[in-house]
Amino acid sequence: MKPTIVKRDLVVDTALDQCAAKLTPEQIEKVVNEVIDNETGGRLQTYVNTCIHCGLCAEACQWYLSHDKDVSYAPVTKVKDTIWVLLEKKGKVDGAFIKRCSEIAHTECNVCRRCGMYCPFGIDIAYMMLVVRRICAKLEMVPLYLQDTVHSHAATMNQMWVKPDEWIDTLQWQEEEGQGYVPSARLPLEKEGAEIMYSVIGPEPKFLAQLLGNITVIMKVAGLDWTMPATAGWDNSNMAMYSGDFEIMARVERLHHETAQRLKVKKIVMGECGHAFRGAEYDGPTWMGWMKPPIPIVHAISFYYDLIKSGRIKIAKKAEGPITVQDPCNVVRNAGLGTQLRYIMNAVCEEFVDVTPNGRHNYCCNAGGGVINVGPPWKKKRVQGNRVKAEQMKRTGAHTIVTPCHNCHSGIEDIVDYYKLGMHVKFFSDILIEAMEIPEHLKPKEE
Amino acid sequence: MYEFVSGPLVWIAFIVFIGGSLYRIYNMLSSSKKEKVVFPHMSLKHSVASLIHWTIPFNNQYMRQRPIFTIISFAFHICLIIAPIFLLAHVILWDESWNMSWLTIPDAVTDGMTIMVIIGCIFFLYRRLTDPVVQNVTDSSDYLLLAITALPFITGFIAYHQLFAYKAILIIHILAGEIMLIAIPFTRLSHMLFFVFTRAYFGSEQGHVKNSKDW
Amino acid sequence: MLKIESWDWESKEKMLADTAKWKDKFEDVWEPYISPDGEKIASIVKVGEGEFNIAVNEGTWEEPFEKIWYSRFSPDSRLTALITKDMEWTMAVDGKPWEQMYEYIWDTKFSDDGKVIAATTKLDSVYGITVNEKTLECPVNLESIASYAISSDGKTLAAIAQTLPLGQADLDGFLKGTWSVVVNGKPWKDNFVDIYGLAISNDGKNVAAEYRAAICEYGIVVNGKPWNEKFGCTWEPVFHPNNSNEITTPVRQAGQWFLATNGRIVWDKGFVSLLYQTYSPDGNNIAATVAPQFAKWTVAVNGQPWAATFNECLLQPCFSPDGRKVAVIAKDSGKWLLVVDGTVLGEGYDNIWQPVFSPGGDKVICKVEKNGKYAVAVNGKICGNTYEALWNPVVSPDGTRVMICGVEDGKYYRKVVPLSDI
Repeated sequence: MKPTIVKRDLVVDTALDQCAAKLTPEQIEKVVNEVIDNETGGRLQTYVNTCIHCGLCAEACQWYLSHDKDVSYAPVTKVKDTIWVLLEKKGKVDGAFIKRCSEIAHTECNVCRRCGMYCPFGIDIAYMMLVVRRICAKLEMVPLYLQDTVHSHAATMNQMWVKPDEWIDTLQWQEEEGQGYVPSARLPLEKEGAEIMYSVIGPEPKFLAQLLGNITVIMKVAGLDWTMPATAGWDNSNMAMYSGDFEIMARVERLHHETAQRLKVKKIVMGECGHAFRGAEYDGPTWMGWMKPPIPIVHAISFYYDLIKSGRIKIAKKAEGPITVQDPCNVVRNAGLGTQLRYIMNAVCEEFVDVTPNGRHNYCCNAGGGVINVGPPWKKKRVQGNRVKAEQMKRTGAHTIVTPCHNCHSGIEDIVDYYKLGMHVKFFSDILIEAMEIPEHLKPKEE
Repeated sequence: MYEFVSGPLVWIAFIVFIGGSLYRIYNMLSSSKKEKVVFPHMSLKHSVASLIHWTIPFNNQYMRQRPIFTIISFAFHICLIIAPIFLLAHVILWDESWNMSWLTIPDAVTDGMTIMVIIGCIFFLYRRLTDPVVQNVTDSSDYLLLAITALPFITGFIAYHQLFAYKAILIIHILAGEIMLIAIPFTRLSHMLFFVFTRAYFGSEQGHVKNSKDW
Repeated sequence: MLKIESWDWESKEKMLADTAKWKDKFEDVWEPYISPDGEKIASIVKVGEGEFNIAVNEGTWEEPFEKIWYSRFSPDSRLTALITKDMEWTMAVDGKPWEQMYEYIWDTKFSDDGKVIAATTKLDSVYGITVNEKTLECPVNLESIASYAISSDGKTLAAIAQTLPLGQADLDGFLKGTWSVVVNGKPWKDNFVDIYGLAISNDGKNVAAEYRAAICEYGIVVNGKPWNEKFGCTWEPVFHPNNSNEITTPVRQAGQWFLATNGRIVWDKGFVSLLYQTYSPDGNNIAATVAPQFAKWTVAVNGQPWAATFNECLLQPCFSPDGRKVAVIAKDSGKWLLVVDGTVLGEGYDNIWQPVFSPGGDKVICKVEKNGKYAVAVNGKICGNTYEALWNPVVSPDGTRVMICGVEDGKYYRKVVPLSDI
């Protein structure tokens, strides 16, 4: 088979560059075969042997479509250029090859699983890319910023190097912010036996603390019995799942679920994040040997759906003008929340404009799957790799895009910025907090 | 020669085809157990749902996006399986040897189906040569598989119409059929065997585990 | 040790506080806590704009504070809480704040007798462990403290701490090691990539932890010295109750979990998962939560799994005092169950708290939740009243009585019931 013609702008990623130079062929061969022999099975072999090289997966990929159908971005090409060779050569490849594997798997694929839906055989290409990532991770061939994030998970059990005191302090500060809207609002810490443990991702206390204030108000208005942990285990995000460091992934997920068990809650409600749901609901539990999370986990979309549908939260004033939405792959395509998302969008927006394609067929934001976490060196490529998203969003004519996922939020913001779409990007809770009715008795007393 | 290819070789071909297929499926199932999640994630309901959904034409986004591909590939696969099984001449052979017979399809229809298979092969060959994505992942094995698939139908067509050298063509036809049978379990033609399983797994994972759908 | 004998085991029933009245008296009332002896119930209450106090039984602390949180009773029934005054934090014990104020203070812990009160503190951007108002002196400035452990006697305090600063995205620096264990203010000689699962032996002499040797390589380190054996993954080590030289750890090898003692695999059978290894009181038996197959959980005692399995999860197993029986809380198909020696006792509940055995081992007592109400269950069956709030029942040292503390119609009761009656 002829090698793929690959044209890329040079990207300097010191971690990949330095590590590629250090790798020995023996090391590579050992790790490749270890992973293939011990960590994969009939599934991978069947996928590789069943692929009839039809190329139908190409149309599924936003990277391929956005690059004017550049073959080197087609999902099947990504498989060809990585796992086929690793299997065929039984790991006898060099550092440069592994570096290219990492570039493909970590920076050019969002493991969004859209291509799986385009394959007549249901071959899960994203799974194969995760196998490649696993090999890369064991060889320390992970892009700099992603690896740094994983180190943060490993050291602090959160994504952003947030120290234990900073976490609690931020919650106490945001409780006060929430009390600006609803004076009796409370952010209950360490309340054993509460109905709900609320968990968030590391960037919330670090950069988006107002979301914690938002939830304090929403919980009060809905009259719910909830708590947040004052210990590690509060962060539900998991970049180790995406780097391929599954031991750290499992440690983070285990702590998250055990924190909920320790607090004796009935369920975990999580903020607006897609990959975190995937890690907490699926990848983490699977590694731990749980069929499903030991304490059920509810994504913000379902949570708000229940609150609005049951009337626990009433909408006083719908958001004006055309507003559209981004379907986060990990909660829509891969968790079936598309219908609920549309229900809550219609409930809080005067004019909700849907996207095409939508629901589980929607394109990935291109930031997911750890791709935004590979950091600034790769940003241009990531944004250029999702022109179709910009075109899709532009077609809606909306002034605001709601993204119920942190990765989508940052990714779409970058796209809006780069393609000069002039649209706002908001979380659902940002819209909800403005639209919902705050009952008279909860409102601040007029001075 | 004719006696050999239509006698012992048929036996060998069928034994290898059936035995090989069973072996490949067994091997796949047992090595899938190594990954502890595969079987616990399976669900009969979602497997069947996925299989039914994906065997109906134009039931998916990509099928609707590519109408020509969809029509040809469905017709190709249906004809490829139906024509040889229900061809009168084949059923007669079964009847003569084993006293077994079943429904047959009129020759004119199977003839048309054969042409359809050949058209399909030409279409796939054309894609392999012209579609950049397909081209990029095509190697000699892909052409070989196409040839193995096309040959029994081309020779069958020639033999049926007795266009030339009937006896020789007939022998080649039988041989080609046998090669194809033998190749199925041991080449990527095994997608015929694994289709059910890969679909069932993805359908289960999307439906049963992830509460979504795989189409 | 705590003198449970000296508690009031005679009074059959005491109504100690009417917490319903708190709701009329104060702007907001937080969830209550009780003292270990059951004599006191306390809630943080809001008394005005930016003013909080703690209601204890019929009274309150003398002085309100700007903020109060983490109210916890020490084992000797003193009430501690973390408070702010003039935007600075400290610990208050029975209403009296420590003199030293901190930038931040959190994670209160106690020695078994309650004489030692410890917390993590931050002062002038340096982190430390503070014990009874005195921060343990450390030769290096600690950049962060992830967590810490305290020995039963309160004499050994070990913290997982970052001893070196780390620049942004400094992968090499991180892999050289920035984390160590600081024992009573003294950091271990070497740094490690990561440290997890800190444990102190019962005699307080040895400190063990998991350490990360490389990206996917883990081992156990004891008193700063790493063992030679390395594994694909480990979980937290546990000391033998009477032998501080024996440490048992779950270890992962070739995709399976095994139980290892002092680095050597002691259970020949591997599992999909292995957690919460627990020694019997005499240290002769070990039970652990295991999954022999994916999503099939059970307990293995000395390597032998029970026949019954549960499809969701299992919590930590616990031994009867004689070490012959093992009880565990299991979750199966959405219900929590009490399981003893592989047999489900009683019915399923919405929640079950960690069980205790009666001294004879014949009764397993625990707090359960059903339909939003709490009750005491014996061998899985609810006995007596249901409560709005309930605490874990405590068995008297002679094993004849059980103390049950709970709130009914807003009134807080402390009851002592003969074990034979329930």
